[in-house]
Amino acid sequence: MQEQEIRSKLRQWIVKHAKTAPRSELTDQTLILEEGILSSLDIAEFVLYIESLRGEEVDVESLEPKVFANIDALYSSFFAAS
Amino acid sequence: MSAESRSLRSGFLKSASRFPDRPALQLGGQVLTYAQLRSNAARIAATLSNHAAAGEPPLTAVFAHRSMTAYTGVLGALLRGHGYVPLNPAFPTDRTRGMLARSGCRSVIVDRNAMAQLDEVLQGIEAGLVLLLPEETTCAELAARWPQHRFLLQQDLVDPERWAPGPVDPDGIGYLLFTSGSTGQPKGVMVAHRNVTHFVDAMVQRYSVTEADRFSQTFDLTFDLSAFDMFVPWECGACLCAPTQSEKSLPSKYINDCGITIWFSVPSTAVLMSRLRLLKAGRYPTLRFSLFCGEALPIEIIEKFADAAPNSICENLYGPTELTIACTLYRWDRQRSPGESELGVVPIGEPYPGMKVLVADEQQREVAEGETGELLMTGPQLTLGYYKDPERTAAAFMVPPGHTEVYYRTGDRVRRPKDGRPLTYLGRMDNQIKIQGYRVELGEIEEILRQEAGVDVAIAIGWPITSSGADGVVGFLGTAEADTAAIRARVMARLPPYMHPSALKLMPEFPLNSNGKVDRKALAQLLAAEAAEASA
Repeated sequence: MQEQEIRSKLRQWIVKHAKTAPRSELTDQTLILEEGILSSLDIAEFVLYIESLRGEEVDVESLEPKVFANIDALYSSFFAAS
Repeated sequence: MSAESRSLRSGFLKSASRFPDRPALQLGGQVLTYAQLRSNAARIAATLSNHAAAGEPPLTAVFAHRSMTAYTGVLGALLRGHGYVPLNPAFPTDRTRGMLARSGCRSVIVDRNAMAQLDEVLQGIEAGLVLLLPEETTCAELAARWPQHRFLLQQDLVDPERWAPGPVDPDGIGYLLFTSGSTGQPKGVMVAHRNVTHFVDAMVQRYSVTEADRFSQTFDLTFDLSAFDMFVPWECGACLCAPTQSEKSLPSKYINDCGITIWFSVPSTAVLMSRLRLLKAGRYPTLRFSLFCGEALPIEIIEKFADAAPNSICENLYGPTELTIACTLYRWDRQRSPGESELGVVPIGEPYPGMKVLVADEQQREVAEGETGELLMTGPQLTLGYYKDPERTAAAFMVPPGHTEVYYRTGDRVRRPKDGRPLTYLGRMDNQIKIQGYRVELGEIEEILRQEAGVDVAIAIGWPITSSGADGVVGFLGTAEADTAAIRARVMARLPPYMHPSALKLMPEFPLNSNGKVDRKALAQLLAAEAAEASA
């Protein structure tokens, strides 16, 4: 899967599960947790979705909270190296 | 302060004298000692007292979201001798404006999260307010736009030495907390200082809290369980550790990095940890107590958590805001508890010291042992009722036949204990549900759906169902045609995020049950069938 397609799928998932609208347009830099767009309780579902895109499990124990900061961080943490 | 009567602030002030250099608050890499937090709060108290408006009720609003400003604001209000009214920047502005107006607060402490909404919230507020703004903000534009209000900046804060502790009435309001109301209007629960100090004393004794303890603070301040997170540790000189929104997404890392000893969350957080494969055996050795409250606690979750926190005692707490944070509890025991549980959830146990239980039928008469009925409770944690709402107060706070004391009708269905078994929660009597731990009156969502869709009948169903409540809401509109996307957008603008319908469905004819009422179970079955079809 190409980078743009992955970013687009991540964006679609966030929009579908958004608890509140972003303060301005949702970009790859929008802070999705700090702005309350997703709640911390959405993360489990989100990780499962990321695993389905990657085709392998995420080692959650080793994660830092900053990997969920925005789409840029999500892409570079979960997809760029794979 | 020797003559200080017990109130929400007295425990903190005692700890600030005994442990001035110990950490009181940790948030996002910042730590404040008791002396620093006391000083910051005293600045706010002294400054707002200088700017008090005539006829101001003894309440100060804290428009903030688990920030340094939020905690110093709460303490600043209390040091001022006021109760605090938490307002959540994540809530829609109309709702926040309504709460602010109904509370009558004339002083508002605002944090950075709330600044984006402030201008909109002020639209329609006629009474002159004093607003304390956060750091790195300017007020020239706001002051020009709203000449009736006074805006104070951090540089306007006066010396903390100018704070003079005035008297606090233990029977007065410690905090005023708005909860979901079935008529579409949130209810303001008045919680007295003495309600909370009774609760805090019970908790401190039960958990042998010391200054070495480190408490998690995961609840928004508009959720009354946050009062446990603040006032229990501050009573004993312990530290409150508040994860940022990002840190909350990985609670396991936060527990270990911060050395949390007393964990308190909704069961949904433990479910999240389970789904993320983070409840592995022995994972959380620092925890002494793991406490859950706010929704039904599934047995399989507490079993996993108990394994993951081998040095911890796990307890299930229960209680509506009207009975002050929590009023019954149950200690989990690996051998005994599974046999005492019903419907796959952990019992709610025994009442707190001094609290009395009545399990009653529809006429509020006690049912026989082992039978089910509505849970009514009374005692020192019985709150003062609903703010400026005698009608709803009289309906919920009543004297049952044959009794002389006022009881609160919880609306929760329980089984009356028999043969020494614990109190068991069986569900709601009405259409109130828990979504991610938040108490939600489906009637409130339905009222707004009806208004925005212009239909006679609208039904909200908790969906998808989870073992501890529901994960969201789906709305049904009694019409054949409607622009559901537009209606949903308007409804979302009026409700807090956890009450947003994930979908709206058109239902020209509702299924009815034998009483002629809309058959909610049939609607839930419809959603289940759709989900099954989608996944097939």
